[in-house]
Amino acid sequence: MNAPVLMFALPLLTAFLLPVIDRLSGLAGRWIGPLVLVGNLLLGALAWPHLQDAPLVLAMGGFRPPLGIVFYVDRMAMLFAMGVALGVLLLWPAWAQDKDRVRISTLTMVLVTATTGLALSGDLFNLFVCYELAAISSYGLAAAGGSAAAGAATLRYMVISSFGSALMLIGIALVYQATGTLNLAQLAVLSDALAGPQGLIAFIFILLGAGVKAELFPVNAWVPEVYGAAAQRVAGILAGIVSKLALLIIVRLLVLVFRQPEAQQILLVLGVLGVITGELAAWRAQDLTRMLACSSIGQLGVMFVAFSIPGPAGVFAGLAVALHHMLVKPALFLLAERWGGALTRLPGAAQKSPLAAACFVLLALSLVGIPPLPGFWAKFLVVTAALGQGTPAYAGAVAVILAAAVIEASYLARVAAHLYRRVTQPLSANRQTRAAVTVATCASAALVSATLWLAPLGNSLQVTAAQAADRDSYIHNVFPQGVQP
Amino acid sequence: MTPDIGQVLFCGSFGLVIIGIFGIVLTNHLVRIVLSIALLETGANLLLVMSGYRPGAAAPILVDGTVPASMVDPVPQALVLTAIVIGVAVQAFMMVLVLRVHTAYGTLDIREIRTLLERDITHAAGVPLPVSPDEPLAQPHTVLHRGAQ
Amino acid sequence: MRRYLALLLLMLMALLLLAVAMQFGFGAAPMRVGSAINSAAPGQVGAANIVTSVVLAYRGIDTLGELAILFTAATAAGLLLGQRPATTQPDPEAGFILRHAADLLFPLLLVVGLFIIVHGHLTPGGGFQGGVILAAAFFLPLLARPASRFRHGVFGVVEALAGAAFIGIGLLALTDGGPFLQPMLGKGVLGHLVSAGTLPLLYAAVGLKVGTELAGLMAGIAAYEARDP
Repeated sequence: MNAPVLMFALPLLTAFLLPVIDRLSGLAGRWIGPLVLVGNLLLGALAWPHLQDAPLVLAMGGFRPPLGIVFYVDRMAMLFAMGVALGVLLLWPAWAQDKDRVRISTLTMVLVTATTGLALSGDLFNLFVCYELAAISSYGLAAAGGSAAAGAATLRYMVISSFGSALMLIGIALVYQATGTLNLAQLAVLSDALAGPQGLIAFIFILLGAGVKAELFPVNAWVPEVYGAAAQRVAGILAGIVSKLALLIIVRLLVLVFRQPEAQQILLVLGVLGVITGELAAWRAQDLTRMLACSSIGQLGVMFVAFSIPGPAGVFAGLAVALHHMLVKPALFLLAERWGGALTRLPGAAQKSPLAAACFVLLALSLVGIPPLPGFWAKFLVVTAALGQGTPAYAGAVAVILAAAVIEASYLARVAAHLYRRVTQPLSANRQTRAAVTVATCASAALVSATLWLAPLGNSLQVTAAQAADRDSYIHNVFPQGVQP
Repeated sequence: MTPDIGQVLFCGSFGLVIIGIFGIVLTNHLVRIVLSIALLETGANLLLVMSGYRPGAAAPILVDGTVPASMVDPVPQALVLTAIVIGVAVQAFMMVLVLRVHTAYGTLDIREIRTLLERDITHAAGVPLPVSPDEPLAQPHTVLHRGAQ
Repeated sequence: MRRYLALLLLMLMALLLLAVAMQFGFGAAPMRVGSAINSAAPGQVGAANIVTSVVLAYRGIDTLGELAILFTAATAAGLLLGQRPATTQPDPEAGFILRHAADLLFPLLLVVGLFIIVHGHLTPGGGFQGGVILAAAFFLPLLARPASRFRHGVFGVVEALAGAAFIGIGLLALTDGGPFLQPMLGKGVLGHLVSAGTLPLLYAAVGLKVGTELAGLMAGIAAYEARDP
């Protein structure tokens, strides 16, 4: 059963060979990227039935862990790996001019490889390498617009991100020094060695490092600028897909390795701060792109709060919010491709593209959390799980999340009001592209069908989350005979 | 009592990290920021290598098939190999971006670049530039001085 | 204000680092995986350089990722540099010393680079180190004679094929029934040039890819003319 490894290796092979392929046949160069992504989806679907009973543990190179690197493919990992393929397929950068097309396609394929590796890997340093790979391909994509603003915004992003990566490297050095291994399962067995101050500091450093991409407070200063200056599709990919995979690193570490309550408390505090700063900044924003970007920060803060809740309930709630955000945000950014810009330019947009406006309203309603849409259930899960903890800290977090939902509703309603305002003069708003309308409609349809089939989807997700949060079975799956050294 | 070379390197790695962090935050010149990042990454790599150090142990290479009595940890050395290459790749791309930004904005001062960046983004979005209420009305908003550094 | 806040945060971070330094248990590495690899590697992989066996065999996926990172950086740089073609005249030829030294050094650098790549599994060195020397070798003529044309096309094809070769060798193991990136071709005698299975081939692919890639990147930057302020 090598499908997960092929999901990692084939996009990378395509990326390496794309210049040669394109030289041989322009048509092949144009279509091989999406074809490989479809292939990834098929491979994932092929492997999915095998994951129902137990996760797949694939030893790279045939070297048994902990000497070698393992790919640990449980349901959550495969879910995200397929989500990456689907998301990038829908947001495929078709906007590139011809001379840049090959390079941008190459960068996109590398990004797919990196995020798939982040989902599937079971080794701490391999996660770091995949994270760096995702980082550098995202730098390239963000700067690809060619405008000076894109370059400067990417530069600022790179400075913050390099700082975070160095911190993450120091954190990994601390972990290795304390335990002598990098395999996540063996680290889980040895997590007592990391229970002290050295372990906590290592966690903080790794958190700050991975948090740059996951838009954690305080290393998210790059978000409004990069989303404002880069292409909207790239912003959609970054906000919708890459940030979730960066979050996945932290989730795996919290579940398996760093089990001290201080780690969860730090995550809770930073999550709440992220919600507050993100939503307030979104409320003050005067253009749609900045609003969506800051709203992303707020939503990711909610996810951090959810994942800081110990136990399967926290993972369940966090996964629900993450998957919902992964569906909604890229669609919103795609709509912002034509509607990006000052809100004052929006009146009349609903008259020109009524379907797109209706989709926008539906997506916004789900984002805020209006019943019976899935967004409401996701936030409800977070609130109940947090209140179930019973501590004042979590109660405060719940209050912040509810207040943030109110703020979200107010600024999204403002946008909707602008969209639907009737104008009689020549309409200044742009008409939506067919691609954007198609994707937005698909996302809305997915939301509606998720609402209709909420119970079975919820149960399936709960099983996934329980499997992901089960530390002992993780260790047992990787080391059936126990750990040797 | 001369310190062991390992201890010197160990302290040095922390020193490099701290110098690098302070450099990133305190300096305004883009190229110096890139150099500070290089220092920071060097310090982090050195720390990672030192995490596998054992005093008196030999390098993990078998010369003429003889196995030394004790060898240092080969894994951090492999990790650092990867980390150095990653650092090189990122720094190379950063310098290319610095070139582009210098061509476009004419300055290497990060404060000016931030202001110009904000201006460009808000201009592209069609949003009016946020004006501070304390700003004197007499001076109109002009393009900032685009001098060569 | 922002500056003072940042300074405060940094002081905190410096203190944190110093606290870590105190606790760091330096010199007493637990070496769980390290000792196991030290004892198992010569027999299992067959390379005299145990670090190489870690890089290419035990942690081959990381090396693949690292290769991809360098490739991505070069691609992204090419994307940005290519958007402003050099329109002004190239720099004049370098002086006597540089020109003739470059002519002398070029074959020397090639030999040293190839030596380090090929002997990566026996002595310290390997694909990345040798590849950088190769890149310097390819770039040196351009420094001496900036007007000479750099063959981006040839280098691009070599780079693509070398990278594909690395993954191809890994995928070949799949056809053999083994997992991805399993070393094949028999271990040979420890310490000989032809030993450690596919490891020297992997390092050769790495070295060629890194060399051509970095040379192309540096040539691209050299061709980029900055606008006069």
